[in-house]
Amino acid sequence: MKVNIINYAIAFFIILLLSFLLPRLMPGDPLTAIYGEETLLSMTQELKSQLADSFDLDKPLWKQFFIYLYNLARGDIGYSYYHNAPVLRVVISYLPWTLLLMGTALILSTILGVITGIESGWRRGKTFDKALLVGMMSLSGFPSFFIGITFLLTFSVTLGILPLQGAKTAYSGLSGFPLLLDVLKHLILPLASLTLVFISGSFLLTRNTMVTILGEPFILTAKAKGLRDRQVRYKHAGKNCMLPVVTQTGIGFGTRLITGALFVEVVFSYPGMGTLTYNSLLMRDYPVLQGSLLIITIFVLGINLAVDLLYRKLDPRVGNAR
Amino acid sequence: MHVRLLKELRKDTFGKLGLALIAVFAISALIFPLIFRDPRSHSQVILKPPSSDHLLGTNDVGQDVWSRLVHGTRTSVLVAIGVGFLSTLISTLAGVSAGIIGGVYDKVVMRLVDALLVVPTIIILILVASYVNPGIWVLILLISLLNWQGGARIIRSQTLSLKERMHISAARTFGAGKWYIIFRHIIPDLIPILIVSFIHRARMAVFMEAGLAFIGIADPLMISWGMMIHHALKFYFLPVWKWWLLPPGIALSLLIISFVLLGYSLERIIEPRLLNA
Repeated sequence: MKVNIINYAIAFFIILLLSFLLPRLMPGDPLTAIYGEETLLSMTQELKSQLADSFDLDKPLWKQFFIYLYNLARGDIGYSYYHNAPVLRVVISYLPWTLLLMGTALILSTILGVITGIESGWRRGKTFDKALLVGMMSLSGFPSFFIGITFLLTFSVTLGILPLQGAKTAYSGLSGFPLLLDVLKHLILPLASLTLVFISGSFLLTRNTMVTILGEPFILTAKAKGLRDRQVRYKHAGKNCMLPVVTQTGIGFGTRLITGALFVEVVFSYPGMGTLTYNSLLMRDYPVLQGSLLIITIFVLGINLAVDLLYRKLDPRVGNAR
Repeated sequence: MHVRLLKELRKDTFGKLGLALIAVFAISALIFPLIFRDPRSHSQVILKPPSSDHLLGTNDVGQDVWSRLVHGTRTSVLVAIGVGFLSTLISTLAGVSAGIIGGVYDKVVMRLVDALLVVPTIIILILVASYVNPGIWVLILLISLLNWQGGARIIRSQTLSLKERMHISAARTFGAGKWYIIFRHIIPDLIPILIVSFIHRARMAVFMEAGLAFIGIADPLMISWGMMIHHALKFYFLPVWKWWLLPPGIALSLLIISFVLLGYSLERIIEPRLLNA
């Protein structure tokens, strides 16, 4: 168990080091790399020297690193001159939308993936199974952003039945139930795209586990007892599929979630971390870019660690494997 | 581990399909750019629908979309091969050496692998790429450096188990040296796994390159499907998406799907336990 957390600590340290060193080791003035050229051009000389002071750029690199860590610990991850606000506040205002999108997509894709997986495994080798298998495999090949674009072109551009972008109608002054409806309407397409991105993973896992489990003696017993098909399928086989599905989702799970969410958000200009990253890239708003990537990383490491710990608890064999 | 991959592949529908598609992409990447016009030349005819002169119309600066699509194939295929090769090479070096040398070295390498496994690589890639604005070769190097850890873990465990096999102990009793065993026995026995790893890394790389270009991180001079999608998406309100946005998206998806299919069928061939599934 302890070993595990050390891995995450190392990963975290690598990322901190990288986001500290990159702007400072780039050729040229580190201030330019930290703030971006455009911002610096519009700054007065005093402000610039004040900034250089605040970063202690004249001190040795290792001292700068400790100052960086100290600021980080206080929650100070920089100041965005583009947003004219501390980076942390900007990031926090975008984060909930990503959480909403990722959370709902995760739940929906797991449910759908497990059900289709159970049904497909039950009918192994039949046309239904083969069609689903081919479908899901192709689905897992579609890049997330292209699935999003296809939806956008179909439902928003051509049919015009769903909103093109954003998470809610701007300046609509809605509240209560109409607001909820508005938010849901904006959520549908990004959610559907992301669900399709995630579904093949849980489908393939469930299906493979199902096939293995169906060969076990207790399934034969259940059938021999005269239980109905559906009872065997879900209560006996299906329930036992859950453990491997949770455990094998394991490592790198958060990574997959965030990668999908980032790209889908950009397609729909959904105001989450992906769009924030994209916009700060466009605007060369380096403090926000760095800050948001750092927060995303911490967040993903957190998810990965949680899943990792959870599955050791669910399946003690994993912990003893090493 | 001596599996005749090609012979087995021929029996597998998924594998055949994947291999055929990849071959088509590879051949068009080689030949087509030689035939069709310069993808960079600008002209006054902008946003035109497909015609006999411009098979897929023109984009917002009057460049021929078809020849950009064809040249984009070259980028994707090059990234796939480059990263597939380089990252598999790194994982082999790390995995085999960790498995053979063992001890503290093994512990250090595997700790690094475990740490890298939980890191969201795409985020690091975005962070680094936003500073260095990589061209295609630097991009291949970057993606490879961030994507060798999964392979290394598998290769190490396979090396550990190979090390104890009968034929290798036999070679050792005949006086074979460490290097002889590595190059004549262990690496040849690893080849099926290396091929699967190559395919998976290649798939990841195609996706990552396109994804980065899609969010606007790419050398502007590079011609890539992701960048075409990036530019074309700005014009979604015009009918141009039909010939400017869909073709690169479909090409990209097809290429990745063919890697998925090939990888899946290779995995089933190599892992006999899954064959029954």
